[in-house]
Amino acid sequence: MASSLPAAPAAATRHFADDLRQRSDTALAALLRARPDLAAPSPSTLRSLAARASSRTSLERALARVDALTLQVLEAVLALEPVLRPVPEPPGPREVPELSEETARDRDAGAAPLAGPLSVDVVTWALGGAAEELPRVAAAVGLAVEQALLWDAGGQYGATLDLRTVPGLDELLGPNPAGLGPHLDPVPDGLPEAVGHALGSAPGRAETAVALDKLLAQAPPGARAILDALAWGPPVGVVPAAGSRPRDAVNWLVTAHLLVRSDARHVVLPRLVGLALRDGHTHREPRTLPPEPQGRAVHTTTADAEAASAALELVRRVRLLRQAWDDSPPSVLRAGGLGVRDLRRVATQLETDERATAFVVEVAALAGLVRDDGDAPPSYVPTVTDWDDLDDAARWARLVEAWLASRRAPWLVGSRDDKGALRAPLSPDLQRPWVPRLRTGVLGVLAGEPAGDIVVAPTPEAVVEVLTWRTPRSVPPASAVEGLLAEAEWLGVTGAGALSTPGRALVLSRRDGSDGSEAQVAPVTRASDQSGDGGPAGALRAVLPHEVDEILLQGDLTGIVPGRPSRDLARLLDRSTDVESRGAATTVRFSPASVTRALDQGETADGMLDELAHRSPVPVPQPLEYLIRDTARRHGAVRVGAASSYLRAADATVLAGLEHDPTLVGLNLVRLAPTVLAASVPAAALHEALRKRGLVSALEGTDGRVLVARKGVTGRAMPAPRSAAAIRMGTGSDVVGRAPDPEDLVAELRAVEDAARAGARARASAAEVARSAATSGGGAPLRGYRVVASVPRSAEPTREGPRPGALEPLPAADTPRLDRAVKPIPAIGAEALDEDSGTQHPADGLALLRDALRDGSTVIVEVAGHTGRLERRELKPLNLDGGRLRALDPDREAELTIAVHRIAAVLPTSPAP
Amino acid sequence: MPDGPLIVQSDKTLLLEVDHPSAEQARRSIAPFAELERAPEHVHTYRLTALGLWNARAAGHDAEQVVSTLIEFSRYPVPHALLVDVAETMARYGRLQLVQDPAHGLVLRSTDRAVLAEVLKSRRTAGLVGERLDDATVAVHPSERGHLKQVLVKLGWPAEDLAGYVDGEKHPIELSPVTKPRTEHEKAAAWEMRPYQAQAVDGFWHGGSGVVVLPCGAGKTIVGAGAMAKSGTTTLILVTNTVSARQWRDELVRRTTLTEDEIGEYSGARKEIKPVTIATYQVLTTKRKGVYTHLELLDARDWGLVLYDEVHLLPAPVFRMTADLQARRRLGLTATLVREDGREDEVFSLIGPKRFDAPWKDIEAQGYIAPADCVEVRLTLPESERMTYATAEMEDKYRLAASASGKKKVVEQIVARHPDDQVLVIGQYIDQLEELAEHLGAPIITGATTTKERQRLFGAFREGEISRLVVSKVANYSVDLPEASVAIQVSGSFGSRQEEAQRLGRIMRPKADGRTAHFYAVVARDTVDQDFAAHRQRFLAEQGYAYRILDAEDLDESPADSSAL
Repeated sequence: MASSLPAAPAAATRHFADDLRQRSDTALAALLRARPDLAAPSPSTLRSLAARASSRTSLERALARVDALTLQVLEAVLALEPVLRPVPEPPGPREVPELSEETARDRDAGAAPLAGPLSVDVVTWALGGAAEELPRVAAAVGLAVEQALLWDAGGQYGATLDLRTVPGLDELLGPNPAGLGPHLDPVPDGLPEAVGHALGSAPGRAETAVALDKLLAQAPPGARAILDALAWGPPVGVVPAAGSRPRDAVNWLVTAHLLVRSDARHVVLPRLVGLALRDGHTHREPRTLPPEPQGRAVHTTTADAEAASAALELVRRVRLLRQAWDDSPPSVLRAGGLGVRDLRRVATQLETDERATAFVVEVAALAGLVRDDGDAPPSYVPTVTDWDDLDDAARWARLVEAWLASRRAPWLVGSRDDKGALRAPLSPDLQRPWVPRLRTGVLGVLAGEPAGDIVVAPTPEAVVEVLTWRTPRSVPPASAVEGLLAEAEWLGVTGAGALSTPGRALVLSRRDGSDGSEAQVAPVTRASDQSGDGGPAGALRAVLPHEVDEILLQGDLTGIVPGRPSRDLARLLDRSTDVESRGAATTVRFSPASVTRALDQGETADGMLDELAHRSPVPVPQPLEYLIRDTARRHGAVRVGAASSYLRAADATVLAGLEHDPTLVGLNLVRLAPTVLAASVPAAALHEALRKRGLVSALEGTDGRVLVARKGVTGRAMPAPRSAAAIRMGTGSDVVGRAPDPEDLVAELRAVEDAARAGARARASAAEVARSAATSGGGAPLRGYRVVASVPRSAEPTREGPRPGALEPLPAADTPRLDRAVKPIPAIGAEALDEDSGTQHPADGLALLRDALRDGSTVIVEVAGHTGRLERRELKPLNLDGGRLRALDPDREAELTIAVHRIAAVLPTSPAP
Repeated sequence: MPDGPLIVQSDKTLLLEVDHPSAEQARRSIAPFAELERAPEHVHTYRLTALGLWNARAAGHDAEQVVSTLIEFSRYPVPHALLVDVAETMARYGRLQLVQDPAHGLVLRSTDRAVLAEVLKSRRTAGLVGERLDDATVAVHPSERGHLKQVLVKLGWPAEDLAGYVDGEKHPIELSPVTKPRTEHEKAAAWEMRPYQAQAVDGFWHGGSGVVVLPCGAGKTIVGAGAMAKSGTTTLILVTNTVSARQWRDELVRRTTLTEDEIGEYSGARKEIKPVTIATYQVLTTKRKGVYTHLELLDARDWGLVLYDEVHLLPAPVFRMTADLQARRRLGLTATLVREDGREDEVFSLIGPKRFDAPWKDIEAQGYIAPADCVEVRLTLPESERMTYATAEMEDKYRLAASASGKKKVVEQIVARHPDDQVLVIGQYIDQLEELAEHLGAPIITGATTTKERQRLFGAFREGEISRLVVSKVANYSVDLPEASVAIQVSGSFGSRQEEAQRLGRIMRPKADGRTAHFYAVVARDTVDQDFAAHRQRFLAEQGYAYRILDAEDLDESPADSSAL
């Protein structure tokens, strides 16, 4: 907590904002790239960028992405930061009241710094790392600096860094970083030096133990045990009951400043003592490397074979799905998504369970192969696409690439949401923004294993373990990891649980294709569709079983394709056989029903037999030939057609000649039987036409037996989804606005900076005028406030050098602080707001407050009062937490608490005159 | 092996390419654990079942062996999930053991307490087991040994039966090196078991109990005799009918040292109990006032071996009785272990696992059964009959189609094509058969014919005195007619696959002149007769007997011998 940190004197401060300002353009661009949320929406100034970078939400995001080592580094720096600084000013009067006197006394003694800068060496040692781990720690530090989680207080970014954490980080990492208690004064004699040595040069490292022993020489028994118990955290202990021996030990320790009473019932181990007990380490050992994922060893050939069959199966299932939905499109649920019954039906058709079916449906929708037709009421239909014309590998590539970019979580299908409703496939409810990052993570773990003859198939638990190392602050739910691994298996990205060669190609293509940032979800690339050998499609093609173009026909009416059927053969078998067994080979059975199906689709007996004979290395067995011919003979014995009306007569002669009568040509009369003609016009029209020709006919009652033309099945096929429709389905690719290019943004920020500087000069002279106007009793002082708001940006050190002296005194002159009164500020007019684009961002204000907290300085705070009017006060912040600012009003010598949302603006004060 | 003869499918079928050079080796390697499902001409289909894998475990094969065999012969990488499944399935066997405890008698012992707890918790085992002796052991009622084993298989935790067999009463039986003449004209001839018969006997004996599957006419009786000789104990033989019982007796007298006096017949007609007793299923299952009156036969002697002929026909009560015979060695013999009621598994769990199985075509190739040519003759019904058929009630349709009048003429044509052959006409409906017999001027045997008359007629047919014989389903099984070479089936019991195979079996004894046997099924086109025929033929088609289909109108033009086709 910020308040528990002793603050450094303001004079020694070099601010985080200054650090950002001094960073090179490249470094700033790198920062924006690493933390994209800082760039969207674009910050207006570098100060607001700094403020945003230290805001809680942005830091949470940034921390969510750091790995275990970086987190350790951050903790270590946070823990050592106050220790390695000059011992600070006393904390606020009510912080640790019992300490304040001693603090005042010891101030001088502790004023000397413990050691040199907080360098990478120090951090490495603090982490408990050996010298050979230094490069990794340095890399982690570099990364943290790039992300502006750490900065160099030395400002040089040279060989030796003096690391500081970004303001606000302490709030996120809690009051006891690395389990070390607060840094409190007074410090026991000799301990700072000992710890300083421990953190410093190697030879001094044994001294801490000696110093501790010396301190504990007179200690009552049990004192050392108490310290050891608190050494590795948590650093807070309960005070034993009065009169007991441990209580005596505790009392002794408190007197020796080795423990501090934090309240009546608790003692806390001060940070320095904790460090001394830990031999100067903040951590037991550095977690420099992710854990090795544990799992079964799988042969690459096995993984590839499994992946190939999974891929083929998926492609087949998507094809079946499209066919099934072409025949009978299921309706879209009112809330979006596919109903349970429809899902079950599809599952039966796909011969799999509902979980796998939900995934097939989802992946088909992701690839734009099915979508809702936008009708009222809407239903799901297959789209018109070239997918059908591709070969298996290219089809698979489309599916898998769509999956890779998806933000959906199909594994949630079947679970219940907060309201208790079942989550349906294709429902917008399955959208989860974090899915791509987690997927990248999971695939990354799988791809982390080097390719070779044997690959490891990590268990879901092992994957979670590695991911926990990668992002200890945001551990993915095990169910999601399991869901993603199952999906990878269904897709053939993994085979037998290990990354397959096509899967590896996919991961690689992904790495090459984008910079890996999560906000950038690449649109489905079509480059790999082509039948070239590159990319995932090519990799899959290489591991697919041989394409076989022959079928062994047998006398028991079965046929066996000893491999993967070629496309033509597959089409033939699909039409004219029932599959009995699928796998490396395909077993099919010819039956009257299957042959009838082929005949329905326009095959002929001769055509089929020719094709079979052509593809069979053995003659077509006689029973099969007989079956096909016999079925063909019977096929078409009963025929069905469509007519609109009919004409019948008892006497065939009455109807004679009507069929070819030129005047009745428009009726399309067809003779079905000697006494029956069919017509393609409605009964009434037929009736009329016959009347005109002089044939008196009677209209038969429409008792339902009048055939009605069947509604055509056209118009179902829809174009591939446009983005709007995709959004409705919740399956579209990224709809979040793209972040601006970091370099452009940095250039813009610099321009604003320069303009502000120039503008400030101009405004300063304007303010001069305004002030003279004000003192002369007239005019509007309002402008002056605006000037105040804009001054600080340039009032601080700039890259170029010392700040222009002219600017310095101006704001103070106008502040009402001088009146020692809370002076209501007149509402700022609209024109005033318009005039200056730099209205204060809340984060700016908070950043100023935090700086002030740290430095123990005062700021001017504009607060919205009960009446909605702005009040202006000069305050010394004591604590900023939970949306509340606790602050001291030095003028009134009162403490007050303000809800942060009431703070309209925070302005820096110049040092008191 | 990148180019192996085997393709392992993920649905647990194994496809074996017959023409592959190492197909034979692969077949021998997978036979212990995979069930042969279909054996058509090019690719044979085996299936991995839990029962098959457990049987393999029982026979001493372990999962590693199975997995390495699959991998060795597979052409493509073996699906990973299947290998895992094989290992897991096989690991379930033997966690429970049936053993003889010196103190408590028969007990079920477990190496895995959780499994025992799971099994004992099931309602199905209630009443089959007795007192819980300790954590890992529970007493078993000796009479429930069979039931318990059956239930444990259903529960997925098959027990390894280590309780052994009773020795039974000793009775010397030897195979005689020469056949004893049946009649005065016949001369004694030297003989020995064919290799596959000897293999079958060995397979059975090592396993203790089990089923031997051999094609009709391949000499199952001799396998039985061989088993008896190995056992050298009193034997109970269960057969389907009296005619078959007499054939067994004759064959045993001819091939072994047994004399007629040592063999008793226990049937409806006679009730003798001798060291070797042949009983019919029918007499065993006869009930008087709700009680099986002939059950004492099973305990009449201390049988050392129980032999089940045509085990696929085992009636349900015999199943139950068999469950009580678990301590005795059991041998089941069959040609067609397919049951339309799907109770093959019960045969395996009660009699024992399949110990030997050979595809029909293999035995044919070795010359031990006659090559057969199967023809389905399709008869187009005349207009009037088609009308009658179309309007008939569902239950009458088969009868109408099967006994179509046109079949008479077709049978006549077929008979005319085989003037020199011994021809059997087989059918289901007595009136149809009587009509045919009259038309052909041939004698007829039905259920109403006395045993004596049956034997006389069969005898005359064997001797060649009569060359045409019309028979009903009584001649489906176990009737040995060596010289019959043509069978014409005019109707059958609906879609029974094993009936079709058994009927074909009637003509499969190798002929003296090595000629091909002909099997005709006369079928009415576009009726249920045709559908049933398709189903009936499935077993044979899967054994590699491809039916040619002829139109009845083309009968005259097409030559009788398929080799000319």
